Amino acid sequence: MALLFRTHLKLARTAIKENRTRSFLTCLGIAIGVASIILILSLTGSISRLITTEIGEMGANLIVVRPSTKKDTMTSIIEELTSYNSFEKSNLTTDDVAAISRINGITSAAPIAISTNTVSTDKNTLPSVTILGTNTDFLNVEPLTLRYGTFLSNDTSVGVGHTVVLGHTLSLALFNTVSSTIGKTITIMGEKFMVIGVLDEVNQSITFDNIDYDNTLIMDIGSLGHITGSTQIQQINAKAENTDSLPQLATDIQNALTNQKLGDQNFSVTYGDQITHPASSLFVIVSSVLTLVAGISLVVGGIGVMNIMLVSVSERNHEIGVRKAVGATSRAILAQFLLEALILSFFGGVLGLILGYALAFLISVITPFAPYISWQIVVATFLTTIIVGVIFGIYPAIKAASKNPIDSLKHYR
Amino acid sequence: MSENILIELKGLTKRYGYGDTESFALHDFDLTIKRGEFIMIMGPSGCGKTTLLNIIGLLDRSTYGEYYLNGENVAGISSRRQSKLRAKKIGFIFQNFNLIEGLPVIENVALPLVYTGYGHTRRLKTASTILKRFHMNTREYYYPYQLSGGQQQRVAIARAIVGNPEIILADEPTGNLDSRSSHTVMEILKSIHEEGNTIIMVTHNPSLIPYATRVIRMLDGHIDTDIKTVADNQLPQPIEERASHRNKKKPDVTLPKKPNKKRKKNRRKK
Repeated sequence: MALLFRTHLKLARTAIKENRTRSFLTCLGIAIGVASIILILSLTGSISRLITTEIGEMGANLIVVRPSTKKDTMTSIIEELTSYNSFEKSNLTTDDVAAISRINGITSAAPIAISTNTVSTDKNTLPSVTILGTNTDFLNVEPLTLRYGTFLSNDTSVGVGHTVVLGHTLSLALFNTVSSTIGKTITIMGEKFMVIGVLDEVNQSITFDNIDYDNTLIMDIGSLGHITGSTQIQQINAKAENTDSLPQLATDIQNALTNQKLGDQNFSVTYGDQITHPASSLFVIVSSVLTLVAGISLVVGGIGVMNIMLVSVSERNHEIGVRKAVGATSRAILAQFLLEALILSFFGGVLGLILGYALAFLISVITPFAPYISWQIVVATFLTTIIVGVIFGIYPAIKAASKNPIDSLKHYR
Repeated sequence: MSENILIELKGLTKRYGYGDTESFALHDFDLTIKRGEFIMIMGPSGCGKTTLLNIIGLLDRSTYGEYYLNGENVAGISSRRQSKLRAKKIGFIFQNFNLIEGLPVIENVALPLVYTGYGHTRRLKTASTILKRFHMNTREYYYPYQLSGGQQQRVAIARAIVGNPEIILADEPTGNLDSRSSHTVMEILKSIHEEGNTIIMVTHNPSLIPYATRVIRMLDGHIDTDIKTVADNQLPQPIEERASHRNKKKPDVTLPKKPNKKRKKNRRKK
C-alpha cells in the first residue's frame, strides 16, 4: 500500500508537471480562497489580540456586570445589530453599583451609562455627543489618565453634579484647545456644566467598553439622569483587590445583585477574557461574514480543482483503460486521481498561506494592525485544503475508477 | 493431463441489449484450454472473438456460464479480485499497442508490476531485463511516439510478459504492422510460447496459422471448427511444470523464471 502510494505520488507529480499552466491556475484558485481566509483571520486575530492586551494593561482584576436577558445568542446578536444601543433595556441601577462596591474585596465600582445629546458652548454646538454617566470611581477602573484638571469629585466647589470631564478630541472640537479648557462652561439641555478635566489621548478606537473615550463627555450619573430623565446603566465595572479572588468575587456579585433584585437574573457577571466577547460581538459577526465570503471563494477554487480533475480524467481515459487492463484495481485508480486533486489543493493552500500573510504584512505597513500568525490558523488552513481536495476530488476520482476498461481502451485517438 | 487444464469455459453466454435489440456475442460457448497451447482464434468481424478474449482476460463478464481459471470459478468474483488476477495471471497485447503516451518505454513495461507490489527500482530492473531480451534496451527512455509500430508492439509484448502471467491474450497484435514487423512480433510470440507460456491470439491473417498449435474458427458466437496441429503431450511446458511432472508432487505451480522468486520474496516481506 505504501509502495502504491509512493507510485501514485510520483504519477501525480508527473501529471501536474505535464500540465504546468493548468495546474498552476487551479492552485491559484485555491490559493486565492485560502489567502483571503488567512488575511481575514490574521487581521481579526490581531484586533482581538489588541483588545485582550488592553485588558491585560488594565490589570486582569476587572469584573464587568452587564445587563442581559436570557436569550439565545442569535437573538441578542440581531438585537445588537438592529437597536441603536443594545443595552437600552438595562435594569442595573445605582443601588446595584453601591451594592457591588460594598462587597469585600472590591476596591471600586463604576457604572457606565451612555447617552447622546447636543452639547453647546458660547461659540460651538455639537450634535450627538456621547455622554457617559458614571461616578467618582471611574478612573480607578478604567485605563484612562487625565491630561489637565481633575476628575469628577465630590469635593469641588460646584459639586459633582455640575462638572464634566472631556475627551481629548471632544475638547478640541468644542473649544479648539486642550490646555485652556478647564473652567469653561458648556450647556446640555439648558443646564450649565463646568469643565474640570480633559482626558489624555487614548488613541485606541476599539476598547472593551465599546466607547471612544476621545470623543466622550463624562459626567456624574446623577446629573445625567437629571438631564435625560432616566439613567440606563449599560455596564458596571468593578475592580477586585487581586486576581485570585475573581471567581469568588464574581459569585459574590452575582448573589448580591440577585438579592437586591429579588431573584431576577437579568444581568451577567464576567471577568478575564470573557469581558471582550460582548464588546467584540459585532466585530465577530463582521469577521465571520467576511470569512464566510472568503470561504465561498475557496469553494469556487475547489470547483476549479474538480473541473480540472474531470478534464484530466477524460483526457486520460485511455491511460485508465490500460492501467485497469494490466491489473490496476478501481481503488488504485481512485487513489491515484484523489491524490492528484489533494496535491493540487495542498499546493494551493501553501501558495495561499504565503500570499495571505504577504498581503497581511502589506496591510500592516499602512495600518496599525500587526498580522497575527498562530499555528492554529496554519493547521486549520491545511485541514481545510485537504477537506476541499477530498470533497472536490472524490467525484472525478470515482468517475475515473468506475470507467469500464474495454470502453476506455476503445476510445483511443 | 487433466491437471494441465488452464482454462475451462462452460456454457458461456454474452448477451448485449434486451428484447428487440438482444444479440449474443457468445452463445453457449464451451472451450477447454491447456497449459502451453498457442491458440489462434479466427473468424469474421462480430463473431465474438474480442468478447471471448475480454472475458478470458477478466476485463468483461459473461451473462451466464462458468469460467474456471486454474480450476477456480472466476465468473462471479468481485471486480477487485478480477483486477488482482489480471495483474498476476494475465498479459494483454493489443492491436493498437495501448501504451501510455506520457510514460517512457521502461515505465510502460513496468506498469503491471506497479499493481503487484514491486518496488520502484526492482520494477525498472525487471522491465529492463525484458526489454534487453527484445533488443529494446537502447530505447528504454524513449516515449512511445518516438518508436515505430513494430517497436511499440515489442514494448507492449514486454509489458504483457513482465509480470510472468499464465495467459497471454493478444488481440490482433499484427493488425497495425507491416509484414516485416509482423514477422518479428510473431517470432517473439513464438519464443515466448516455446518457454511454456499459453497464448491466445485473435487474428484475421491466415498466414500466421503455422505459429499456432490450435486454430479455432468462430462463427456467430459458436466454435465453427477447432483444429489442433500439435498433440497435447507435445505442448511446450514450463520448466518447473515439467519438473513437477517427474516428481508427481506440486501440481499447481505458476510460471518459472527469476521474477517469480522475487515475487515470493516480496510476499514474505509483507
